[in-house]
Amino acid sequence: MSLSARMIIVLTTVGLISGGFLAGVAKLTKERIAMNMQAEIEGAIEEVVDDVETSSVLYEEDDLTVFKGLAKDGDLAGFAVQATGVGFQDKITLMFGLDETLSKITGLTIIDQKETPGLGAKITNWDAFLQFWEDRDATGLLILRKPPARRRDELLEKEINAITAATISSRKVLEIVNLSLDNVRALIKEGKITKEGADGN
Amino acid sequence: MATKTIRAEYLKGLWDENPVFRQLLGLCPTLAVTGTVITGLAMGLATSFVLIFSSLVVSSIKKLIPSQVRIASYIVVIASFVTIADQFLKAYFFPISKALGPYVPLIVVNCIILGRQEAFSSRNSVGRSLVDALGMSTGFILALLVLSSIREILGAGTFLGYQIMGPWFKPWIIMILPAGAFMTLGILLGVALKIESKTKRS
Amino acid sequence: MELLIIFISALLVQNFVLYYFLGICPFLGVSKKIDSALSMGLAVTFVMSITAVVSWLINNLILIPYDLGYLQIVSFILVIASLVQLVEMFIRKISPPLYQALGIYLPLITTNCAIMGLALIAALNEYSFVETVIFGFGSGLGFTLAIVLMAGIREQLDLSDVPEPLKGAGIALIVAGIMAMAFNGFIGMLT
Repeated sequence: MSLSARMIIVLTTVGLISGGFLAGVAKLTKERIAMNMQAEIEGAIEEVVDDVETSSVLYEEDDLTVFKGLAKDGDLAGFAVQATGVGFQDKITLMFGLDETLSKITGLTIIDQKETPGLGAKITNWDAFLQFWEDRDATGLLILRKPPARRRDELLEKEINAITAATISSRKVLEIVNLSLDNVRALIKEGKITKEGADGN
Repeated sequence: MATKTIRAEYLKGLWDENPVFRQLLGLCPTLAVTGTVITGLAMGLATSFVLIFSSLVVSSIKKLIPSQVRIASYIVVIASFVTIADQFLKAYFFPISKALGPYVPLIVVNCIILGRQEAFSSRNSVGRSLVDALGMSTGFILALLVLSSIREILGAGTFLGYQIMGPWFKPWIIMILPAGAFMTLGILLGVALKIESKTKRS
Repeated sequence: MELLIIFISALLVQNFVLYYFLGICPFLGVSKKIDSALSMGLAVTFVMSITAVVSWLINNLILIPYDLGYLQIVSFILVIASLVQLVEMFIRKISPPLYQALGIYLPLITTNCAIMGLALIAALNEYSFVETVIFGFGSGLGFTLAIVLMAGIREQLDLSDVPEPLKGAGIALIVAGIMAMAFNGFIGMLT
């Protein structure tokens, strides 16, 4: 057998065996991976919307997805908006909840971020920032409060606490939320989302 | 070339021929994911998986592969195991997979792995190749552990997520940033060389 | 505008070497003299730009439509290895002196994490075709920038008194750390 022929046969065999093996592994892990990604989204929705049991996608486009959340008895529990925008270092993906009247923010959680570790990254778990996102007024522009207030009742309904030493990342989160709210309001105007849900439910 | 004992074959990977501190290989992941001990450990284990199995396969089929296409073949073998590791992490350790990001697929260009296939597995028995791979893996994991421990303890005051520095400690955030990674590794290399020259002299 | 952001980001803010830690091996190995650093950097930029194109095509025309995502790693690395071979043959034909100058650096480009990293990150960020090309070109230039700067510093360092254990890679890494700190200043530039 000539060298070239042998080379081609060996490469093809190695390629085919690997390909087949990988296809098998992919099949085994596919469901689990999809489940993981689904669980991440559902977990975020549960965090930001009260009493939600199931959710469905109302509207989806690049960097913006609106979910409808239903409570155990099938009643509307609220809405969740997942948005991706520009942070300080890289993109930030977050999820915030809206109540049934689409006029109050019920919570916020960060899904993905690459901010400065130890500083901007605090947006993921800084309680004084995250917890104080509840009960915010969603009908207009939200603004940043710095220095941050210590108790929630000190904040005006349209104010969000900044995180000390992470002001820029906090502001970026705020900007993403404001922009998303604008988009959502526009979508409602165009009839793409209604307070009752896209399927009139 | 004198053949080493099996013990020596394994131990060389830990210090004399430590892939990171002595051979200066695999530096990309070493710097990138050693911000915390857990990510460093995960990367070490994933890389070890790929190294060990690739070495086993390459040394088993070494006689069948014509020399001209050996690099391409090694690459396919390595890339396959990297894919398996990546899929496995995404399926069963999703948060860690997210934290490691694109660095798991990048194991495929980790010079340690291709280097070992070319330098060792393609010329040695399956048994010896396995021992060599185990030694190199251990050495690599140790290097990652040292670097990530320093970076996490000094940079965040924690170890494996547990707070171990008291409230008096103000974390050196620079340690978690790229700059800290570079400098810590540079200093560790200096320390390693210093120890090496001292033991040579004595 | 978005394209300009991607370009500047790849060049400075998220510099492949100083932020993503990609391309460290050649960064330490080839950065001793400015001209070899420059040649290596340009060769890498060239390969990265082509890789950007080819990896985008493979990902979007074959892997995604046929649900073969799991073959991404294998196909990307094979493409890169082949491209480097082709570039090597091409340079040898077109300009033998250049080929001589680059010597063994060319085959080393295959294991340069920067190239594989480029293909993976562009795919991860789901960039469009144009965005991927700009990203590839920008990150290549970023790599070149980092390696040339490092060479400039090292040429000076060679003349000074570095402690024995730190000579070579040790001091290079420490310098890289300082450079990384400097480049940190570029963060927020695009805000």
